[in-house]
Amino acid sequence: MKENPDMDTNASNERIDELLNSYIDDELTVERQAEVERLIDQDTKIAQRLRQLQKCQILVASMPYAEAPASVLEGVRAVMVGGSVSSQKQPAYEEQAGRKYVLLRKVLAAAAMITLAAVLSVVIHRIVPPRNTPEGSVAVENRTAESIKPARMLATSGFSGRLELKTSALNAVDAFIKSAIDDNNDLSASINPERRQSRRIYSVSCTREGLNSLLDDLDNIWTELDSATLFVNTETFGTQTVVGAVTTKQIAEIAGQESSERRIELAKDFAVLNNLAENLPDKEIQVAIEAGDSSLTQQWRIFKPVLTSNQKAVKKPAEPAQEKQTVRLTIILDW
Amino acid sequence: MTEAANPDIRSRQVSNMRVINNDAMLIEQYRKGDSAAMERLVLKYQNRIYNVILKICADPDDAAELTQETFVKVIENLNKFEGRSGFYTWTFRIAVNLTLNYCQRNSRLAFRSLDAEQQQDDSQVKHVLKDFLSDDSAPDPATEVQNKELYKITARTLMGLDEAHRAVIVLRDIEGMSYARIAEVLDIELGTVRSRLSRARSKMRDILEAILR
Repeated sequence: MKENPDMDTNASNERIDELLNSYIDDELTVERQAEVERLIDQDTKIAQRLRQLQKCQILVASMPYAEAPASVLEGVRAVMVGGSVSSQKQPAYEEQAGRKYVLLRKVLAAAAMITLAAVLSVVIHRIVPPRNTPEGSVAVENRTAESIKPARMLATSGFSGRLELKTSALNAVDAFIKSAIDDNNDLSASINPERRQSRRIYSVSCTREGLNSLLDDLDNIWTELDSATLFVNTETFGTQTVVGAVTTKQIAEIAGQESSERRIELAKDFAVLNNLAENLPDKEIQVAIEAGDSSLTQQWRIFKPVLTSNQKAVKKPAEPAQEKQTVRLTIILDW
Repeated sequence: MTEAANPDIRSRQVSNMRVINNDAMLIEQYRKGDSAAMERLVLKYQNRIYNVILKICADPDDAAELTQETFVKVIENLNKFEGRSGFYTWTFRIAVNLTLNYCQRNSRLAFRSLDAEQQQDDSQVKHVLKDFLSDDSAPDPATEVQNKELYKITARTLMGLDEAHRAVIVLRDIEGMSYARIAEVLDIELGTVRSRLSRARSKMRDILEAILR
């Protein structure tokens, strides 16, 4: 079978290129280097090719040197101080104790953790008994401390929660949220966007006004979302109330409540409403809710905040201004 | 010239050995509980790691995040580090692997931004680039291109390469690694480094010519 002459030429050119590049990078033996120099002297095309490759190399090597931002070291420090990285003395200990002992210790530790988790879940179950609610978007979740990392327990009475948004247009929505956060002058507190591969995490700490303003902006892209779920932190550690198919208005209303109890009650009511609305074929309830039709809630006997909150009639004393305004919301954007 | 015969390379090797010994000492100190030793290692390598990652992924935020993630992984896996390769090589291997995985997941984004920006080429910059490339005199390797716009075009040209080619060219031309070290970091054969680098530079040349057309 005849060989293709073009393929031979290409292969030969590739070999010459490899030699020339190794020559540029000073990666040839003395003999090879002399060989390449002879080639360059004899063949002007090869000499020209060498110059082209050298220029490519110079262009890349001339690119400005960028220095790592201070956040890198701070982040690493935080990890070391936070103790999420295993103890530094562990390897020495492992060496002394032997692999079998370490394995046994790990198994025992795992068993102890499972037992502890079981005991904790029983305790939490007793403290927060599950209510008879429809399946789906309403639930009180019991989670381990690790799995609720973004939603921190707050000492203050301000709103604290997590908003999980799913979208197939991740980049577009991400860009919108970032610009909404950047452009929003009402957000007086710190906003730290974190980026991890297919998900984006924004830790928003702001006033209620700031949150409302942000939610107004986010409302414009709400239709781009595949789902929106709000996790409202309760005062019991690791327990959250989940509102599926949540709207920006509902988030604002929940966050706007004065006390944690009211927020939880309202979140549960919205969860029930949203769940019903989702299960109806024509989504009549959703439309009615948005239209503010009060007769509907009576017709369906749906928990409205005014009916379920036993503190509504009692006027609460004014809370300190700082507490009123504290809002901590972790927005997780995922696909 | 072999690495051993070249005095420059030999002195570099000696200084590398000092660095390796120094790194080993810091790792030992950290293992004994001195967290300041790890901070010194981070301070020592963070700029180089960040710079390489940034040149591969082209996004400062992501590069910072990936740099931090690299050191977190280093700390988490330090008990597995046996010292067969140097700490520097091992850390770069983690950094490059993380970055390449990131790039593969976000490749569509990179190409989209490249296409969009390609429309904005300034004719003056093209002129400068054309002059630089078509100048027939032998370039001085010590020459530094001092044109900001050219940096942008070079960065975009790099983004036009696939991740594997981009990584090899960045490790060689920006980090200045030897072929043997690149092979160790990328866990590939020396011959593969040679051919990959050669193809990467040829492709770069093609992209630059396409920009000029």
